[in-house]
Amino acid sequence: MIPETMSRQERFEAVVALEQPDRVPVMPLMTAFAVRCQGLTQGEAWRELDKGFKAMVDTFNDLGGFDKLYKPNLYWPMIGGRFCSAPARNLIPGRDLPEDALNQIDERELFTRDDYDKLAALGWNAFWGERYERMSGRSMEQLVSTQNRLLNQYIKELEACHSQGIYPLFGAYVDSSIMAFSMCRTLTQFTMDLYEVPEKVRAAMDASCDDLIQNALDVASLTKIPLVFIVLERGSGFYYRLDIFEQFEWPYLRRYVDAFVSEGLTPWFHFDTDWGLNLPYLKQLPKGKCVCDLDGTTDIFKAKEILGGHMCISGDVPASLLTLGTPEEVRDYCQRLIDVVGRGGGFFLTTGCECPVDAKFENVKMMIEVAKTYTGGLKRRGRWRPKGK
Amino acid sequence: MAPEGKVREAFLGMKRQDAIELVESEVRSGADPLSLLNECREAMEEVGKRFETGEFFLSELIYSAEVFKAVSAILQPLLKSDQVAEDSQVGVVFGTARGDIHDLGKNLVVTMMRAQGFTVYDLGVDVAPERFIKELKEAAAAILAISALITPALVSMGETISLLVEEGLRKDTFVLIGGGVTTEFARRKVGADAQTLDPAEAIRLCRQYVQGRPGP
Repeated sequence: MIPETMSRQERFEAVVALEQPDRVPVMPLMTAFAVRCQGLTQGEAWRELDKGFKAMVDTFNDLGGFDKLYKPNLYWPMIGGRFCSAPARNLIPGRDLPEDALNQIDERELFTRDDYDKLAALGWNAFWGERYERMSGRSMEQLVSTQNRLLNQYIKELEACHSQGIYPLFGAYVDSSIMAFSMCRTLTQFTMDLYEVPEKVRAAMDASCDDLIQNALDVASLTKIPLVFIVLERGSGFYYRLDIFEQFEWPYLRRYVDAFVSEGLTPWFHFDTDWGLNLPYLKQLPKGKCVCDLDGTTDIFKAKEILGGHMCISGDVPASLLTLGTPEEVRDYCQRLIDVVGRGGGFFLTTGCECPVDAKFENVKMMIEVAKTYTGGLKRRGRWRPKGK
Repeated sequence: MAPEGKVREAFLGMKRQDAIELVESEVRSGADPLSLLNECREAMEEVGKRFETGEFFLSELIYSAEVFKAVSAILQPLLKSDQVAEDSQVGVVFGTARGDIHDLGKNLVVTMMRAQGFTVYDLGVDVAPERFIKELKEAAAAILAISALITPALVSMGETISLLVEEGLRKDTFVLIGGGVTTEFARRKVGADAQTLDPAEAIRLCRQYVQGRPGP
């Protein structure tokens, strides 16, 4: 074991600030995995939130503890009647899906192309305040009640975690502009909109951005965790050429960052899909203030070359490795990450996106043990060179 | 035939309405629907090539696939029966693996494949191994394509390929896997022939298989 001279929180703050920690911090982004580890069905954990919470904490302890707990439960916090993301329907195991299935988002058109003008006129919150009931078939009162109940539950669970020295990661979460709009229109229709009515899309985004920011700030002020988890999946160079990114994602992301950093919050960019082409833009953001979280699709080694010394990188033990690989294969990959991406600090060893539900326990355990025991081949051997990913 | 290069121009310029109006106008003028369809396919092939060289992005594939769907809906019903037979090429059985209901990527690749003349049997989402095998047998398809976005589907992919072996179909079937959670590591573990996250590459791999050339 590497002697620990920092607390979990200090270690996390050090890597965000690009400093060298006592050891590399580690976190599997686990929710469904923890539920299965404790012998529950996903449906049970969704129905009985206390069981879901207990599963997270018990699995955290079974794995020997680590630096951040991704979330204390399966659901995510929202402020009553206010949307931090597209109000898409979440299909719940045991209710909409088989008892032990994973929850999944039911992606469908939540508004039409004609509604962009209304969004531009009303902004995000007022638009959904008017539209939600007709779109979903649920009343706003029902929604407010559910969201407030879950937010209160989240805050209660945070307190319980903190009393045990466990630190949940996110204080709030919010969709990026493209993510929010794409999820409301579906990827295909939104893409057609970008080519056919770009001005309407831009006007609607302009009018929605401040609401999305404020909604996240309001949640963070209640949870009192200074980190906003920004969901980015649809705006990358995997999907769109850079001129589209520059018009419909980047300006709004900069506004998010300016607002969150000025409030003392850490923007955590959860980059699903390949963001390789977009990474150079991140160098325009304030140094040592944000986290670039990669899912295993973006080349994390290339990301280190681009962002090293400017932004903390988090990632990216692939889901397939955790599910199908052996502990030795996991160890080798994690050691390589520490050697290359961890060099000089600014690295958080995490799963590439969520820890898969069927990850092998011994593989996740190995990932955590590597962070706690491996000092880095570079230090020991002196002339280690990275291999191709 | 449409005026020289106009269909291609509409596809490559991401002009859906232009492409639809052009095709409708040509049909009214008595143009051969199969020739028009083939023109659209050539344009789609060019979109795929530009995607592979990095000039086009996934969004252009998505857009042009929608354009192709729209013009196909006009042209397909007009094909004569012998043209339908002529139009049918290699069969592909395609679906999202059991336990997974994601179909965005699958639907895009299905449209791209159809645009390139493959006959695709789209089984939808959450497809059990037995159903893949049954459909492969019934369609006498040479290619099995399985998509996944979540890891439990990888196990299901492996089960499907094991069943393919048990049924004695493995050596005559090209198995391609794709979707966000798949990697080269996963391909080796589940025993597929190829893996890609790239729709244009998926088509190229299938073509290479059909033409008897080894994949990359």
